[in-house]
Amino acid sequence: MGALLDFARGPLFRLTFAIMVLGLARLLFLDIIGMYRAYRRTTDKKMPWKLIFSRSFEWFFPVKRVIRERHVYSLLSIVFHIGLIIVPLFFFAHVNLWKEAVGISWPALPYSWAFWLTICTIASALFLLISRLTVKAMRALSLGRDYLWLLLLLVPFVTGFICANVDVGPGSYQVLMLVHVLSAELIFVLIPFSKIAHCVLAPLSQVVCALAWKFPPETDDDICTTLNKKGAPV
Amino acid sequence: MNRVQNTKLVLWLMTGFAAAIALNRYVFGLGVTTNLNDKTPWGFWIGFDVMAGVALAAGGFVTTAIFYIMKREEFHPLVRPAVLTAFLGYLAVVAGLLVDLGLPWNIWHMIIYWNPHSPLFEVGWCVMLYTTVLLLEFSPVPLEESSRYARVRNFLMRFRFPLVLLGIMLSTLHQSSLGTLFLIMPYRLFPLWYSHILPIQFFISAVALGLMMVAFESLISHWLYRREPETPLVGKLCGAAVWVLAVYFIVKMTDIVAAGKFGLIFNGNWQSDLFIVEILVSTLIPMALFAVPKLRRNSKVQWVGSSMVVIGMVLNRIDVGGLAMLDSTASYTPSWMEIAISLGIVSAAALAFLFVTERFHIWEIRPEDPQSLPHTPPSFDYSSRTWLGVPRIASLTKHTLAFVLSFAVGMAFMPGRKLHAEGIDSVTVSRATGIDTLCIDGNRDDQFVEFPHQAHISWIRTHKIPTSPADDTSGFALAGKDSCSVCHHLNLPGERLSECWECHASMYAQADFFRHDWHASPAGAKLKCDDCHTAGVTRTAQSAKKCTACHPFYKFTTIGVGATPAYHILSYTDAMHKMCVSCHVVEAKVVKDKQDLALCTTCHRVGTPPNLRAGMKWDISVPHFDNVVLPDVGLSVK
Repeated sequence: MGALLDFARGPLFRLTFAIMVLGLARLLFLDIIGMYRAYRRTTDKKMPWKLIFSRSFEWFFPVKRVIRERHVYSLLSIVFHIGLIIVPLFFFAHVNLWKEAVGISWPALPYSWAFWLTICTIASALFLLISRLTVKAMRALSLGRDYLWLLLLLVPFVTGFICANVDVGPGSYQVLMLVHVLSAELIFVLIPFSKIAHCVLAPLSQVVCALAWKFPPETDDDICTTLNKKGAPV
Repeated sequence: MNRVQNTKLVLWLMTGFAAAIALNRYVFGLGVTTNLNDKTPWGFWIGFDVMAGVALAAGGFVTTAIFYIMKREEFHPLVRPAVLTAFLGYLAVVAGLLVDLGLPWNIWHMIIYWNPHSPLFEVGWCVMLYTTVLLLEFSPVPLEESSRYARVRNFLMRFRFPLVLLGIMLSTLHQSSLGTLFLIMPYRLFPLWYSHILPIQFFISAVALGLMMVAFESLISHWLYRREPETPLVGKLCGAAVWVLAVYFIVKMTDIVAAGKFGLIFNGNWQSDLFIVEILVSTLIPMALFAVPKLRRNSKVQWVGSSMVVIGMVLNRIDVGGLAMLDSTASYTPSWMEIAISLGIVSAAALAFLFVTERFHIWEIRPEDPQSLPHTPPSFDYSSRTWLGVPRIASLTKHTLAFVLSFAVGMAFMPGRKLHAEGIDSVTVSRATGIDTLCIDGNRDDQFVEFPHQAHISWIRTHKIPTSPADDTSGFALAGKDSCSVCHHLNLPGERLSECWECHASMYAQADFFRHDWHASPAGAKLKCDDCHTAGVTRTAQSAKKCTACHPFYKFTTIGVGATPAYHILSYTDAMHKMCVSCHVVEAKVVKDKQDLALCTTCHRVGTPPNLRAGMKWDISVPHFDNVVLPDVGLSVK
């Protein structure tokens, strides 16, 4: 068990973490290349920057959404996102691991903050899961992977919370820690190949959207030709 | 099968793997990634990346000399690829050097702090200048893509001839000076490779290698893009190479015979076998093949011969650069990480070459990637069954993924144990020898400390040591029944007395003596977290119980304890010094007839410990040190 844990924390962690970081960088790179190519093809070079910025801002600070529509859902979604990002990055033990391995460190969350933020994250994830299951509109929109993602994201949080706060015996501690590490590593590997990639692609999504509406010249004719309706009005 | 795409995929994989190891080399240092040491500071990287790399790039100056100086117009199709190869080759050399240098950020020192007596200084300057010259020589090619840069291009074209001349001159200088570097080590390099005319041999072989590299590269790129090979032109290069190889062979053999080393070739040890293989592969067999006009015009023979010269000459550079050192002075085999980084640099250069040939006007007819031809069907992703885009975008998607995955695999393969070594090699400590008079020689280098154990025991038992109030926890005050714990301050499980080397297990590096994971493991102490840490508080060393809460018999003397971060104990050397010296200094002042108690020579001795010497037949009177190699001649046998 100890050897397995060492393997999961050592080589496997380096493997999966590298896949996540470089994979996300690759996605960003490919996105920018694609955007550049699309921009070069367009005839109308004017970009609605003001709209793009205001929409991006709205998505990053969704105050309007909380106030106007679906208050509880939006609020808990925000809490979930904050916990998801802050806890793994600034939890004391994680910072300590980086410090020991590479020698760099950053300020860690106080114990009680980490404690409550983890509870909030777990609770909001559970709420999101339940609302996905119960609200009719949401269930219609959800795919199997959406449920699976929520469950998968819950695993490292729950096991990590137990490891950090509950006084379990050393045997079960090791099992829980192994599950914690392995599930986090599974998440690392999946992030660049799934919808979670929005963690780096989100800032560009509005720009991509704006570019997508700029069709290359004579696209309408091409579409009509493909549909065998040459000359039809579009 | 798409040759270009698959080759690129493999090259991307190797580049990604090497990039991961290069990252670790820069974060954790040379010690983690190489087998280099103080005795062999130059290894595979210098032999392959720098010396072979420079020699492989010799095609640039050889081809420009043939075309511009000798005015052989028929070689025009080879000039641009050759100059491009040379340019990328030199960039690869610089990249390899930046990996190999211990402090790569100091590379600019050479420009300001001159040392004109050093051949390395000349090599450094020549490589720097020649890379610049190659850049200027090559830049008209990308500049001709757009009329916007016509003026810059015309300006550069005006200086083409001087640039070519300068390039040839600089190459002549430093191709030979790479050999000059090794004139300093006649006693380390195996005699078959060492020669006073090593610079001349290096230059001639570089010319031969340059010719063959251009031929090899023409063959391989035409095979890749499925084009008609330039067989007659390559045949002419092979014909020229015969003469150069012959000159090289005659010069080398004459030198070996004249120096009386001919017999060494058939000595039968591995170096002589290596030499025979090297000469056969690099010179004799290709020379024999290409000497027949009918054979040298055959494309298959061209493949065999040119690749043999390339491999053989690279082997020659690696041999001189470190492999053929005398056994008595060096023990070095390159680590897999060194080889991986070198292969990665070569792959990156090859990718750059393919990119530039596809993008710019290197050949008369620009090569088309077969996948971008109109009749090829669109390629779909296997997993998501989506169209990956036009071939250029599709290959970008695939190749970047290959890079990412192989980078990750490279990260996983890093030796984790070495990553935590923190720069100091751990030298394992051996226990002291002797019964009453202990000889403390942790690293067994025949410099030891004489420690009369019984005398110290009786001294502690009879003396009350003057302690300041702060030192009161030291245990010295307990002299008498518990006096052992003054030095043996930590009892082991089973109430066994501890010996110094058991915890202070590393000679120079700090070690972990607490073993947190052992305490928390079901196979170890089986403790829960809250057994030591307070619940509800961040679990740190400070918030945990003290060791003495569970181990009441531990006597932490103040000597040394608390000087290092939590759970870390001093190295053996530091622990011994702190334990002995701090007491000796006090005693030297107090005791009247023991003023020299605090001097180094009071305890330190050099040579074989007396208790061992009695049983030894040989007495080696010359001490040897870890970092200094003394010649064999100094050993006297009594």
